[in-house]
Amino acid sequence: MSKRKPYERELPTDWWLKHAFYTKYMIREGSSILITLYSLILAWGVFRLSQGPEAWQAWLDCLTHPLSILLHLAVLVLALYHTITWFSLAPKAADLWIKGKKLEDKPIVIGHYVALAITTIVALIIVAAY
Amino acid sequence: MEIIKTDVAIIGAGGGGLRAAIAVAESHPDLEVALISKVYPMRSHTVAAEGGAAGVVQDHDSLENHFNDTVSGGDWLCDQNTVQYFVENATRQLTQLEHWGCPWSRKEDGKINVRAFGGMKIERTWFAADKSGFHMLHTLFQTSIKYPSIRRFDEHFCLDLLSFDGKVQGAVLLDIAEGTTKVIQAKTVIMATGGAGRVYSYNTNGGIVTGDGMSMCYRHGVPLRDMEFVQYHPTGLPGCGILMTEGCRGEGGILVNKDGYRYLQDYGLGPEVPVGQTKNKYMELGPRDRLSQCFWQEQQKGNTIETKRGDVVHLDLRHLGEEKINERLPFIRELSKAYVGVDPVNEPIPVRPTVHYTMGGIETDANTATRLPGLYAVGECASNGLHGANRLGSNSLTELVVFGETAGQQAAQFAIDTKHVAVAKVRQAAQEVMDRTHALLHSEGTESMSAIRKEMGDTMEQGVGIYRTEASMQQTIDKLAELKQRYQNIAIKDKSSVFNTEFLYAIELGYLLDTAEAMAHSAILRKESRGSHQRIDGFEKRDDENYLKHSLAFYQAGNAPQIDYSEVVITTSQPAERVYGAAAEAKTDDAEVKHG
Amino acid sequence: MAETLIDIDILRYRPEEDDAPHLQTYQIPFDDEMSILEALQYIKDELDSTVSFRWSCRMAICGSCGMMVNGEPKLGCKVFLRDYFPNKITLEPLANFPIERDLVVVMDDFIEKLESIKPYIIPAQEKSIDDGEYIQTPEQMAKYKQFSMCINCGLCYAACPQYALNKEFTGPAALSLLARYNRDSRDAGGAERMKIVNAEEGVWGCTFVGYCSKVCPKGVDPAAAIQLFKVESAKDYLIAMFKPD
Repeated sequence: MSKRKPYERELPTDWWLKHAFYTKYMIREGSSILITLYSLILAWGVFRLSQGPEAWQAWLDCLTHPLSILLHLAVLVLALYHTITWFSLAPKAADLWIKGKKLEDKPIVIGHYVALAITTIVALIIVAAY
Repeated sequence: MEIIKTDVAIIGAGGGGLRAAIAVAESHPDLEVALISKVYPMRSHTVAAEGGAAGVVQDHDSLENHFNDTVSGGDWLCDQNTVQYFVENATRQLTQLEHWGCPWSRKEDGKINVRAFGGMKIERTWFAADKSGFHMLHTLFQTSIKYPSIRRFDEHFCLDLLSFDGKVQGAVLLDIAEGTTKVIQAKTVIMATGGAGRVYSYNTNGGIVTGDGMSMCYRHGVPLRDMEFVQYHPTGLPGCGILMTEGCRGEGGILVNKDGYRYLQDYGLGPEVPVGQTKNKYMELGPRDRLSQCFWQEQQKGNTIETKRGDVVHLDLRHLGEEKINERLPFIRELSKAYVGVDPVNEPIPVRPTVHYTMGGIETDANTATRLPGLYAVGECASNGLHGANRLGSNSLTELVVFGETAGQQAAQFAIDTKHVAVAKVRQAAQEVMDRTHALLHSEGTESMSAIRKEMGDTMEQGVGIYRTEASMQQTIDKLAELKQRYQNIAIKDKSSVFNTEFLYAIELGYLLDTAEAMAHSAILRKESRGSHQRIDGFEKRDDENYLKHSLAFYQAGNAPQIDYSEVVITTSQPAERVYGAAAEAKTDDAEVKHG
Repeated sequence: MAETLIDIDILRYRPEEDDAPHLQTYQIPFDDEMSILEALQYIKDELDSTVSFRWSCRMAICGSCGMMVNGEPKLGCKVFLRDYFPNKITLEPLANFPIERDLVVVMDDFIEKLESIKPYIIPAQEKSIDDGEYIQTPEQMAKYKQFSMCINCGLCYAACPQYALNKEFTGPAALSLLARYNRDSRDAGGAERMKIVNAEEGVWGCTFVGYCSKVCPKGVDPAAAIQLFKVESAKDYLIAMFKPD
């Protein structure tokens, strides 16, 4: 008879707190919850706009509430965190070869930041123009 | 008792065993193959081979060159029929590996690239950067998965062969995880268990290289041949013994002593070749036995460098530059940084000779057949006559695939021509093995296993090292006899079944001691110096008249082995003086004048 | 001078006498150059011969001695006491694998996964050995070389929380090996293997934690192999959507 008795260790529910790498990953993934919330607030604003100037003004007033400002600050921080961590992982999904050599990680990451800067500037120009 | 019937049982799943298994599966898909290994196949020590595999590819090279390099490299103790077969099939087998996906390094045009290696007249060493063995092994393992007729027994330890009625009948295995025995009834068995470098304290070998197959065959009456020939690799890391490939020197690395002087030129390997150039068969590209002997000489003269890890010389790669080191020798850089804290881009690597390879092994003919019908042997555990008294670097990886295929084909044919014997006899023979194993596990001895292992390693270094004397070898022989006696009374504390590694170490130690004994006894009776067997007690010269022959060690239970001799097969190359460097060129010129 | 000592905790589990694993402390002399593997050998030879662990090459190429060192997957032969001294070192069997005994884990599932991805060249048509080698330029080789460096040590599976949560996930090493063959210019089995990639337990089981690449001792970067496959897999999906049957 077999005397084997392989022992299965259970994954504790707080596994993601056991190692900084996992914790950072969970924050990255978790950040999407607040970012989703932010998009919903924006979508709500568009909806209120369609209901007329008063509704729109009410939505704008809501945004000035201290709690709302705190929420937006938190969203900003997490969005930045998400962006930075995501950009740093971007090279793994890029299969770019130049003259038979794989493109190094650095230019790919920098490329992402450049793209971010350009879209931001374009968006700001559009906002300023209106 | 679980009895599993199979056609071909292969013990050992390194390069040789895997190649043999594939050969059987490809040519006879209807034959069942049991591929047995005490580890997962990709852990086998083939994985650690770095430099490459020899096979003629260049237009200005020839099979004759490869033949001559091998035979003279082996100090004319090679069986020349074996060498001829080997050089004829080498390139074909390496190409086969390429077809199976082995990532051999390429030239810009996409064809196979080759590098220079010690003792080879023309560059003919195929390489996969400096992980040639790793890539070969993984390619073979992965390819083997294609064949449904290959049934693997991973982490199954071979306790013994079964042989009766004048032939081999199978093997008894210990399922390491289960702790239970399985009996393999086989029509034919191929031994592919690798070398026995672990009988020495300082070696490049993995912990699993314990001479299992050699000892098992030896105990079943098959002689171990040429066991006195043990190769010291000239460039191992001090302390741990980890290998710094000969490819380092093939790419242009140099060896210097404490004065920064390239001492090899003082020992018939010169004149000095300018740094940054290489010249085949000169200086650092001399054969391993010679280079290891040079180290010893320098050590005697006080020219080596003292470190806390012992005396060393320096292997200097700095002039190759970072880019070339990263391309050709990335693993060397990784190992050197990790294990001695030296980045070869900036500093020379400390190195010393360490035991690397057993030229001898289970006696086979040129077709891998042993004298026990149905039993074949391939790879480092075998002595098929290829390496003689000193192996040339990069011949052994090729050997695995050339003779692996041969062994597979030969065994397949034998299996077709044979029937299984009645199970009752197998059961009875297996029961004896199991009883013996059970008795060992439950013995109540007191001797420390690790102490015996350590003393064995040390006495082998002292007595059967780079240079040998009658007195030193006799001391080793006496010590080994004592250790074998003590082994009868070893302590095994762990009596459990599941993954009991202490018990495995105990069985391995028994294998090691038998192999060591065969080495020492073969060595003391060879009263000459040839290849890796160098004596400094009045037998400094090669003696073809009396010793141009293979030694054969026959096991005698409870007694010292009996040593006998057999003829060396000589076809075209008559023994001549073995010279390297300028002396070799002078000799070639001389020969050309004579023939001219 | 008194010897400097270091404490090593080992998670012991002997199925014939233990119901659950427990830590056991050993004290050994500290040596600057001693690897964790050598420390284990010291313990086995001098202190407790019943401790079981796998090892062979001691040069980080055979892949036997993967274990958790202070909670991180490492090769025992490639980490040293000096990396942790004077702190205590805790050794546990590789995470996410069942424990067979002490530091030995059950590798069966891992090996089966390697076998399942058809890890061999499937040529477009058989080529005779007599026709010589396939032409493969260094550039073509560079496309897959990195993914051929895996030593099958299993550290990446110990690092992967997705594998921990779902043992069906094909996992980092096997998918890297799949990439190694799919990216090889000699191979024509790509379409067959993409079925494995596209399957539920294929690349989409990965949420890009990325720790596998961090712990890989050979720089294989399995996370990259998987993300590149996600791109391929998405392309396959889109093409299939628009292709009439």
